[in-house]
Amino acid sequence: MEARSIWERMMRIDRRILYVILAVNIIAALMARVAIEPDVPPPVKRFYDTVEALQPGDMVMVSSTWSAGTLAENQPQFEAVLKHLMRKRVRFTIISFAPPARDISHRLARRIAEENGYVEGKDWAHFGYTPDIIIAIKGMSEDIAQTIRQDVRRTPIAELEVMRGIKSLKDYKLVVDVTPSDTLGNWISYRPPDLKILYCPTSVMAAEAYTFLDSGQILGMITGAKGAYEYERLLGIVGLGTRFINAIQFSHVLIIFFILLGNFGMLMQRRASAS
Amino acid sequence: MDWLNEFLPTSTERLNVWIGVICTFAIYSILYRENPFYRFFEHMYIGLAAGYALGPYLVDVLYRYWWEPIRIEGAWGLVFVVPFGMYLYFIYSERYGWISRIVIGALIGAYSGLAFQMFSSRYLPQLHGALTKPLWFPPNATGEIFLSNIFNNWIFLIILISVMVYFTFSFEHRGAVKRTAILGRWFLMIGLGAMFGNTVMARMALLIGRVYYLLDSWLMIRVGGG
Repeated sequence: MEARSIWERMMRIDRRILYVILAVNIIAALMARVAIEPDVPPPVKRFYDTVEALQPGDMVMVSSTWSAGTLAENQPQFEAVLKHLMRKRVRFTIISFAPPARDISHRLARRIAEENGYVEGKDWAHFGYTPDIIIAIKGMSEDIAQTIRQDVRRTPIAELEVMRGIKSLKDYKLVVDVTPSDTLGNWISYRPPDLKILYCPTSVMAAEAYTFLDSGQILGMITGAKGAYEYERLLGIVGLGTRFINAIQFSHVLIIFFILLGNFGMLMQRRASAS
Repeated sequence: MDWLNEFLPTSTERLNVWIGVICTFAIYSILYRENPFYRFFEHMYIGLAAGYALGPYLVDVLYRYWWEPIRIEGAWGLVFVVPFGMYLYFIYSERYGWISRIVIGALIGAYSGLAFQMFSSRYLPQLHGALTKPLWFPPNATGEIFLSNIFNNWIFLIILISVMVYFTFSFEHRGAVKRTAILGRWFLMIGLGAMFGNTVMARMALLIGRVYYLLDSWLMIRVGGG
């Protein structure tokens, strides 16, 4: 049997071995108590500054259209944003445009609200699932009570204390879109013109949003779990973003190492076979 | 011993965690090899997702927007809305298929109108932003940051033009046009590479989320913290 060179052997590594190395790397990084100071990028800083500029009692809409599939990316963002809103003592309402997004955001918001002394119906409300985002935004821009009718607990919108003095989206200060899908375009297109937008996409969606940042159509952006970590640092809290960041960084280093090693091995193998 | 008591599925909360763990291991077992355990949980997950969506559709849509307005407000005109929507199902009939086109036509008409509004509010500000970027120092400009803005704006302009040239197929690319198009292709590759990097980051975060769940919720090891 012909002896294989080290490069040939490297090109034939069982992918399951790489999976195990990746898993061990993630576990080790999650357990590590190493703090990496982030260089907070301008979109995250602008996001923070926009929320920071809110006054107590201002109204914010949180559009939460994520579910279990992107929990690791969107949950850290969602939690960090809600904590910041509650710290600023602003009122907020949550709306979901995907069926599974309703319960997950309601459950999380209830937990965070209890921790921060917020009362559902008085300080915040969840509008539940609404089927068509365009119709919903256009309707809410005119009359929220007529468009949404009831919150998730079946209380008529007009009877909610949190909605006092609020008729439509024109009375809101800003909307925060936490989503793994293309809901941002609809918020940009159909919202009242003065309503500011902040964006929390998954990392996959972030690259496409830079055009909106550049044109000023959105004011700030938190990119995935990494962005949530940067935001948590600005807030001075330890959330899921902070817990994930070491594993994110170290798994990236490992993957870059694998890519370099694979390419190097392929080049060396080619050179060997050419000679 | 206390840890073991807390660890075992002796309460509803712990039972939920254990079910989550079994589902996680079942789905990740595909990484080892194709197996019936994975297949069963994959189908169960898809079925659950579809079934779960049915609840909000019934409660948040049909009940909230259709049944209650009829029952409480007496909006009897809405009685015809659901049958009208169900005309869509005539698409499966050769004889009555034309009825479904009435609903499809109404939907296309409505969304065509909305698309006009979408274009003006989504793309015009971007066009305006792209065309009004300063490429040199205006008279009142000062500061180092502004210099970096000018530099960025030039890069933006070069990328914009070269990528647009790359996608211009009305004439053959030759000479300077060809070189510009090649430059545009390189810029596109860099952009797509950045997007792919972000995609890898997202997928990694999802994996990390699951590992975190196993360590924190299942094994009750307090991890991370930066």
